[in-house]
This record gives sequence, C-alpha cells and structure tokens, in this order.
Amino acid sequence: MNALVISNLSKSFNGIWAVKNLSLELRQGEIFVLLGPNGAGKTTTLKLIAGLLHPDTGQISINGIDIKKEPVKYKSLLGYVPDEPFIYNKLTGREFINFVAGIFNVKKEEYEKRLPELLKRFEIGDWIDAPSETYSHGMKQKVIMCQLLIHNPMFVLIDEPLVGLDPKISKNVRETFTELADQGKTLLVSTHTLSFAQQIAHRIGIINKGELKFVGTPEELAQITGRKDIEEIYLKITEEH
Amino acid sequence: MNKFFLLLFTRLRLIFKYFTPGEHKLPRITFFIILLLFISGGYYTFFRIFKYLTTVEMIGPAVMARTLEMVLFVFFIMLLFSNIISSFSTFYNNQELNFLFSLPVFPTTIYLAKLFENALYASWATMAMAIPLFVAYGVCNKAGLIFYPVSFLSFLIFLIIPAGISSIIIFIIVRLFPKLKPKNIIFIALIFILLLVFLYIKIGNPELLRIFETENEKELLNFVVRLTTVGGSYVPSTWVSNILQNFALRNNDGIFYLLLLFSVALSIVLLAYNLAQIIYHKSFLEVAEHSDKTSTKKSLLAQYQTNSTFAFLWKDILLFVREPTQWVQLAIFIILLVIYIFSLRRTPLFFSFSLWNVIISFANFAYVSFVIATLGVRFIFPAMSLEKKGVWLIASSPFTLTKMIMIKYLFYLIIGIALMEYLLIVANLFIKTAPVIFNFSLLISFFVAISLISINLGIGCIFPQFNEDNPSKIASGSGGIIAALISIAYIGIVIIIFAAPVHNFLLSFYFKKPTNIRLIAMSFVLFAILNFATIFLPIKFGIRAMERRDF
Repeated sequence: MNALVISNLSKSFNGIWAVKNLSLELRQGEIFVLLGPNGAGKTTTLKLIAGLLHPDTGQISINGIDIKKEPVKYKSLLGYVPDEPFIYNKLTGREFINFVAGIFNVKKEEYEKRLPELLKRFEIGDWIDAPSETYSHGMKQKVIMCQLLIHNPMFVLIDEPLVGLDPKISKNVRETFTELADQGKTLLVSTHTLSFAQQIAHRIGIINKGELKFVGTPEELAQITGRKDIEEIYLKITEEH
Repeated sequence: MNKFFLLLFTRLRLIFKYFTPGEHKLPRITFFIILLLFISGGYYTFFRIFKYLTTVEMIGPAVMARTLEMVLFVFFIMLLFSNIISSFSTFYNNQELNFLFSLPVFPTTIYLAKLFENALYASWATMAMAIPLFVAYGVCNKAGLIFYPVSFLSFLIFLIIPAGISSIIIFIIVRLFPKLKPKNIIFIALIFILLLVFLYIKIGNPELLRIFETENEKELLNFVVRLTTVGGSYVPSTWVSNILQNFALRNNDGIFYLLLLFSVALSIVLLAYNLAQIIYHKSFLEVAEHSDKTSTKKSLLAQYQTNSTFAFLWKDILLFVREPTQWVQLAIFIILLVIYIFSLRRTPLFFSFSLWNVIISFANFAYVSFVIATLGVRFIFPAMSLEKKGVWLIASSPFTLTKMIMIKYLFYLIIGIALMEYLLIVANLFIKTAPVIFNFSLLISFFVAISLISINLGIGCIFPQFNEDNPSKIASGSGGIIAALISIAYIGIVIIIFAAPVHNFLLSFYFKKPTNIRLIAMSFVLFAILNFATIFLPIKFGIRAMERRDF
C-alpha cells in the first residue's frame, strides 16, 4: 500500500512556481530522500505535505486520507520537523515535549515509556530540564527529534535533520530512521548532506526549479548518470536541468 | 560621534519597519492615515473639553491648568514604568548587544544609541497622545506660533528624563546584583519607582492630588480656583505644564522652566553616561556570564497534560508566568485599578447627590470598559502573534488552528468577564449606585467584555506579527493600533447608544418626567445589533485569516 500519494501538486509565490506539477508515491516502510539545490522547492514541498501551505492545485493523501477532506485524521498520522524548528524559549525541553505529546493526545503510559528511551537515545541528560533558551543548536535538534518521536507518527517528514548534530548523534539519527522504516513507518527527508542520503535512502528524488527531475534508487540513479558517487550524480543532474 | 549616529539611524530604520510591518500587507500609507485619524480624534476630544472650559468663568482656566498638569504627571509615571520594563532587555538582554560589543565602538556610544532607542520605544504612544493635547491647549488659549515648537521641544526633552532615570536605576541594580534573574531585576526596579512615587505623594503632599471634601458648591469653587497656582514642585511634568501655560499666555517665566527642564535632562544623561563609562560593559559581561549558568533541576510545573486543550492552556500559562514583561505590566495594571477603585470611596461628598451618582457610575462604566479594552490590546491582541514560529507545530498537528483560537477565546472570556464584572460590582458598591443603574451596568458590561475580547483576539489573528517577540511591541504596532481604535470606537458607540436612555431615566426618576420606553427599547436593539457584529465578525474573520494563511 502507498503511504503517501501526491498528484499534480503545484504552489506559486507571486507568480513564481516553487513547486510545479509534482507527483510522487511513497511506499510504506520506505525512506525517501529529497535532494536539490537551494531554492529548488524542497522545503515548500515538505510544508505542503505538512499542511503549512495551501497548494494552488493537486492532492495529497497519507494512507488514503486526504489532507483537505480529513485534515485532523491526516495530521494525527504525521510527524514533521521544519528546517528551522522553533522551541518556546521559556519552556524547558521536557515541558515542550509534554506540550507536543499533549496536543497529539499521547496516552500517559505511552508517554512515560517513550520519553526515557528517547532521552537516552539522543543523550540529552539533565538538559531536558533546562530552559530551551539556553540550548545550543545541536541540543535543540535533539529535543526536536524527541518531540517528533514522542507521538509515534506513521509518516515522518523532516527538513534537514542533521544540521548542528555531532557525528555520534548523527549516527543515532541514521539508525533511528532505519529502525522506524523497519517498523513500517514511512520517512520523507530533505537534506543537503549527500552522504547521509546515500547511507539511508531506499529511493532518492532530485528536485530542481520546483520540478521533480529524477526518482529512483541510488543504484538506478548511478546507472542513468553513469557515475557511482552520489555527489557527482547530484551535480550532473542539477547542472543539466 | 559618527558611530553613535550610525547605530542610531540603523535602529531608526528598523523601528520604522516595525511600526509599519509589511508582513500583513497593510500599506504604510494606511497605517499613517489611521495614526492621523487617532491624533485628530484625540485633538477633537481635548479641543471640545478645553473649549468648554474656556467658557466657564474662573473655574474653567483653573480646571484646564490642573487637567494639563494631571495628564502630564500621569504621562511621567507611565513613562517611568514603560522605560523600566524595556530598559533591561534594551541594555542587557538583547542578541544585538553581543554583536555591538564585538565592534570597535565605545560602550558609552552603544549606551547613548540604546538610550534613545529605549526612549523612543517606551514613549512613542505617549507622544501620540501628547501631540493632540498640546495643539488643543494652544488653539483654545489662542497661543502664538512659538508655543507649538516650544511645547514639542520641551516634551522631547521631558521624554529623556524617565529614560535616563530608568537606565541609571537598572545599571545600579545590575551592578549590585549581577546574579539576579531578569524578572527580579525588573521587579526591584519597579518597586523602587513605586516607592519614589509613594514618597512623593506621602511626603511631598502635592496640591495636584488633593481632594477637597465639602458639600458646599461655593467652597468647592474656591478650592478649584486656588488650584491655578501650582509651582514649587520637583516633578518634571510640572515644569512642562508651566512651560505650556506660560508660553500660551506669552509669559516670560516659561523660559526659566524650559532651561530648568533642559539642564535637569542634560544632567541626568551626563550622570548616566558617566555611569555607563564605568560599569556598563563590565556589568554586561557579568550578566552574560551568569545567563550561561543554567539550572537543570526538574520544574514542578513540568506536568504532563494528557488532554490537548489542557496541554495547550498549560503551555500558555507557563509562558506567561515566565515572561516578566507580561506579568509585571499586568501587576501594574492591577495596582492602578485597585488604587482607582479605592479612590472612588473618597469621592467628594458633593458628588453623592443622586444625579451625580448616576453620572459617576455611568462614567465609571465607560472607564472600566476602557480599562478592559487597554488590557485587551496589551494582552489579548498579541496572543496569536506570540505563537509565532511555533505555529508550525500546531498547523501540522491534529490540533486545529480553529481550536487553538477558540481555547484562547474562552480563556480570555472567563478572565475578561470576571474582571469587568468584579470591577463594576466593587465600584458600584463604593459609589452606592441606584439598583437599576447597578444591574443595567452589569448586564451591558457582560456583552461589552465579550465584544472587546472578540475584537482584540480577532484583529490579532488578522494582523499578526510573527517576527516580534516582545508583546508590548506587538501591541504598539500597526495592528495593535487598529485594535485599539476599533475598541475605543466600540466603547464610544455604546456610550452614545445608552446616553439618551440614561438621561431619560434621570429625568423620569428624579424629575418625574415620563419614561420613554420606545427610546430604551431602541437603544437595546441597537446595542444587540452592534454586539452581534462585534462578537461574531472579528472572531469569524480572524479564524478565516489564520486558516487561509501560509506558514
């Protein structure tokens, strides 16, 4: 079954197309990595799927649930992390995670089971009870990853997951993504970190000027472009288009 | 000096953008037209009051002079409070300062630029109120052309005094207690200012605030006439008042007060400048160093709320109690309200006649409505803007934007209605209002509170400022001014609607004239129509604006 179905999705800002006629289907348990240069339309695509932007045209559904027809049901399946996530400065990390768990109606037993696991996985320690205004960028990213996973989403949408993370936590994030996919969850990840894409992606999409130029497995892309290294493939495709 | 002007003008450009944010596509010219309308409305109101007073023999000029001095005294207190509240964040708790202190610029240059920035942020609303007051005063007294530039110049100098005093107080407190949290520093500074005001009133025993208790109209008149001579006060607002009065009457004494005001303002700035030279950079580093030491103890408030509505409300409450600029201002409002309510107990006996009793209770109703409108603009209007970049979380969650707005709405409704009804009940008990007027004001105020909350929350959704962190700055932006103007216009219309039936009630109750049932019924129908529009439309359009918005 397709977890995500996007058909003919378009969005323009002041007459300029940010996303143009994009169609895409993601399978359940798949990690799909979206690559593209700055301003290619990656963030707009993710925001459209998250329901933060209204599309000009097109449909989006997760597990057959249409975002326009059943927005609440649709969003209860979704976990989203934007490229510049914001945490309320005056809340501690724990209070912020409590808030997110609350608005996703997470049961108390599940919350109490999941939170210690997440804190341990992302090595947050005592910082969870410090005000978030004192956090480094990396610490904020760790808390954001915890809030994402506290409500156990079926579909995960992440814009630039590795910014500010140290190598050890980056490895944790990679492993977490793979585990989530193994549990049958679907992930759509936008990144500039090509090595990360190569390591975790089941399929890669390359977007440029709002249009999806290529979709395929890393091996298929290598075959088409005649190159093995993902950086070379990426540069070749984005330069050609 | 060039660096000072570079810093100042960079800031002024940013301030100009802040007052006219392009975020909600409100054309700048529209904003300035609205501001002009506001100033014109203020001018018209002051003009009517002063014009009337010029026609009243003897008592008129005295009351006019006392009104002017009283308003300027209130301005001075307001400026002290608003400068204190914004001083700490302007001089210490500000991201921009890290950048500025890394530049080859003297700390004193940074201080001067920040002093003027702070004065501008904290005083512009007072300035917008002062302009129509001065012009109306000048026109009604047939002042010469020199009056206008002198009055504005003296007011600009006047604005520097509370800004300078606030910076000195904050410098000293921070130097003495560098490890204190920002909220405690602001709290101590406010207590200090309150103490100064209290001492001034208690020990100084100013003529300005005296109430004369008499039942005799003639004695009251004599008392008011005596009020024309003030003098001898150490408060800068009195000097400004004296400058205005003397220049309006073409009296040379005004120059003395102008020079006095200027020399005191200059002395305060020089004192603050010297203090900044000695301690500003050092204390800035101490505050920055201390802010890096963070407590990681689990807060008792970090409770998990399984219900989404409670989780959302809990988040709002936590953010409110941890933001000193929020609760400190609310505390000041409440202190002022308590003073006001208890001052009603001291209403001169002359006003306890039945006729005055009804007029005072009606005026009190208007005043309490105005207080709720002010609280609405200051605390409810910024509510949506304060969600700012966190909206990504709400908009991508099953917790809908409509639900978020409605929770905020219900929360503010409970607080707003309770506060308004409480104020009116206590005030009416003190005034000993007639039961008919008592019940009437409680009924009307119930709907007035709902309308004012709808207007401020709805307009806050239509014109949010997601790029601003400071709720005071959000409230004083262009959207906040629109909300304030609509709130004031609404209160004005309600007063106009009920002025005629209250007048009719007075005539029928005290002079046994026939009651005009049709007039009373018509007023209630008009009030119902008005409230239908002010309760439903702002919230409806606010929700629609939020749902249509791209985040």
